[in-house]
Amino acid sequence: MNENEFASKLKPWLDRGAKAVGEMQATRLKSARLRAMDAYREPVRLFGLVTVNAGTAQTLHYSVMQRALLFLPIAILIGVLAVKSAQEPDLGDIDAQLLTQELPPDAFLDQDFRSWLGKSQG
Amino acid sequence: MSDFLASVERRAFKQAVFAVHEEESALDIVQDSMMRLAEKYSDRPAAELPLLFQRILQNAIRDYFRRSKVRSTWTTLLSNLGLGGEDGEGDPFDTLEVENSPNVPDSPADRLEQSQVMASIEDAVKALPARQREAFMLRYWEELGVSETAKVMGCSEGSVKTHCSRATHALAKVLRSKGITL
Repeated sequence: MNENEFASKLKPWLDRGAKAVGEMQATRLKSARLRAMDAYREPVRLFGLVTVNAGTAQTLHYSVMQRALLFLPIAILIGVLAVKSAQEPDLGDIDAQLLTQELPPDAFLDQDFRSWLGKSQG
Repeated sequence: MSDFLASVERRAFKQAVFAVHEEESALDIVQDSMMRLAEKYSDRPAAELPLLFQRILQNAIRDYFRRSKVRSTWTTLLSNLGLGGEDGEGDPFDTLEVENSPNVPDSPADRLEQSQVMASIEDAVKALPARQREAFMLRYWEELGVSETAKVMGCSEGSVKTHCSRATHALAKVLRSKGITL
């Protein structure tokens, strides 16, 4: 009898030993299996392209969510600053108007002229 | 997944018991292995599950030994005896009688005898050195191929063949010494 034959004769005995596992151990094994199945989640298809296990998908989801939460305040700040800067008048335009109008810019430095301008606008 | 786990749980438990010689720890090892498979490899096709599970199980057994750092001196002693090399008695397989399969016992006496044979076989398997037992279990009980067994064990195919050969010779020798015919 060679190795393979010997092993094939031994296998049914080992199988029988496995079947003869005590009732308590069998119950524990079953409960362990059920616990594992609680942790099991059906695999998820990402963008219809790749299949990943649910754990990986969940990790990915958390990671995206975490990053989103981290960058959200920064994005809001940038948005507010952008809106504010869009609402502010362009200083270049003001300079251009000052330089091109007939009234010399030095006139605005004159205190009397400025008070007269204020009164006439009021 | 559930069907697969149900089909392997008892064998996995016995494998762990053979390795760690303790039922509580063996149950923990099997539970951890099942949990790991269910959590991490739910996306794998069913055909890959046996190999993956065996890899996880064997790693869990190794982790157990790594953690506990305790090796049974009794196991080492017996396995050394089993590994004693050629002693001039020829091939131990030669004297083993071959029958088709374990008989279904008819009488209580037969049943007792068969349970004793089963216990002797299990003791002999337990007494094998860890790597030989691992190779034998994977190759002949789980029926993995040589290359698959090598992958699970993290060794070469040549090593698997050597471990299997030594394991079968050691088992045949022990069983013959006890007058057991398969």
